Amino acid sequence: MNEVKSTRVAFVNALEELFRQDERVVMVSADSVAVFRAGELQKKYPDRTIEAGIAEGSAVMIAAGLASAGLKPYVCAYAGFLTMRALEQMRTFVAYPRLDVKFFGANAGMCAGEREGVTHQFFEDLGIMRSVPGFTVFAPSDADDTFDMVKRAYDTKGPVYCRIGSGRDPIVGQDRLLRSYGDDAVIIGCGAPLKDACEAADALKDGGVNATVISLNVIKPLDEGLLMPYISRAGKVITVEDHNVFGGLGSAVCEIAGKRVTRLGLNDVYPESGTADELKHKYRIDKQAIIEAVNKA
Amino acid sequence: MGNRIRRDIIEMIYRSGDGHPAPSLSAADIIACLYFEVMNVDPANPTWEDRDRFVLSKGHACPALYAALALKGYFSRELYPTLRKIDSTLQGHPDMKKTPGVDMTSGSLGNGLAAATGMAIAAKHMHKDYRTYVLTGDGELGEGINWEAAQTAVKYKLDNLTLIIDNNGMQSGGAVEKVGGIVNLPEKFAAFGFKTLEADGHDCAQIVSALNTPHPGQPLCVIAHTVKGKGVSFMEHNNAWHKGVPNDEQYAVAVKELEALINE
Repeated sequence: MNEVKSTRVAFVNALEELFRQDERVVMVSADSVAVFRAGELQKKYPDRTIEAGIAEGSAVMIAAGLASAGLKPYVCAYAGFLTMRALEQMRTFVAYPRLDVKFFGANAGMCAGEREGVTHQFFEDLGIMRSVPGFTVFAPSDADDTFDMVKRAYDTKGPVYCRIGSGRDPIVGQDRLLRSYGDDAVIIGCGAPLKDACEAADALKDGGVNATVISLNVIKPLDEGLLMPYISRAGKVITVEDHNVFGGLGSAVCEIAGKRVTRLGLNDVYPESGTADELKHKYRIDKQAIIEAVNKA
Repeated sequence: MGNRIRRDIIEMIYRSGDGHPAPSLSAADIIACLYFEVMNVDPANPTWEDRDRFVLSKGHACPALYAALALKGYFSRELYPTLRKIDSTLQGHPDMKKTPGVDMTSGSLGNGLAAATGMAIAAKHMHKDYRTYVLTGDGELGEGINWEAAQTAVKYKLDNLTLIIDNNGMQSGGAVEKVGGIVNLPEKFAAFGFKTLEADGHDCAQIVSALNTPHPGQPLCVIAHTVKGKGVSFMEHNNAWHKGVPNDEQYAVAVKELEALINE
């Protein structure tokens, strides 16, 4: 039940394949080599990491310069230091000139920061990046999905922001349709809380409520074609994400749904230190909260 | 050439009705030296991958860059009246995707040195010989990213990177010493590990000599002492012309003064 696999290791494994495949691919680090478990990769490919030091704004600008000369930089940093401290550089010097830079933000979500506390829990990144024109925004479901999304970022034209987790990330699976018990409710989620959503759907089924669970790993652009039939048919629409309810997946779904959506996520508050399970429970993105939301909606 | 760029700056801002004349005028000689004496570029092939790069970090001085690019043959001077107007090639601040010859989008102050650092690292990475030049204002050195990038540029021993500071002593709100507390620039850049030189930013021989000084194993910083508004009597040392448009009479006076300098 508590199987985990690291999204960070998955990222590095995929990046190594890209290094082999295309010599233009480089990693830009803001002292992120250890955080991204990239030490071995750096030893194997010593020339492929550009180290800017603890300086996210400069790291993004250096990546813009590298991309302008034809390289394909993958900028790695903590999600919040990247999307908050270096947001302007991501917007004005990468997205505006449509440069081919990919961004990977670690510790995305309250649970990924866990016991570090609010300074290292980043639950605004999806909303921030969704509002910047030109960005494609990824939120992989788990480690295996991260591996694929790193490669998908390579194939995606222009800037991509991808959130990844703590390195202790629950295994969710890569299907878009994780449960399809029926149309009493549709639960749409991204990332780690999808595991809770599946457990909730299983429990609800036992109680006679048949739910569908949809996993989204692309937050922008939203796959309306996939979502709308389920949203139209479902009696209740619930979203769940390890992110503020404002700006993230829940907001994105509301923008297209045209009906009442119950959004589970951080309710515009700052959380605190704790284990992921304690945090999910207290801030109501766990199995029990999802069950209650479906029953109450 | 610096004065021909100045005349075009005044014409561009007068005809389009918007822009920053004084900070453009202070940078004119530096940009003239770069494009007409120092840089290896090809106006017929603005995206040539081996070209030298230029980043105008103080992007609001883009009339000087646009004039240099037009005079060099990247595009027609007939575009001048469209500066800052809808659908124009000449954006209010440089746009690398809209204007031929612009190597990096800029205008948000403090970012140019870091972008240029990336370009110079890319040259090393790809074993290319091109050089990267970045022109910053002095006021924008208040932005911390400059110093983040300075450390990285020194760490990577970027002897293919040159930072030029348009040290006119004024920023939008007044003297840089008073507003930004920006002092001791030669000592600061030397301490960071740059080879650091000073030059009269309106003396082309001095500028070119500084830019051509070898700096093996370290980036070069040239602190160019300049006058904000240089070349137009009523704009020199007058920060009211940080942004502004000359009226008909002022335009006539400015052009007359600059024509006289061109014909000297």
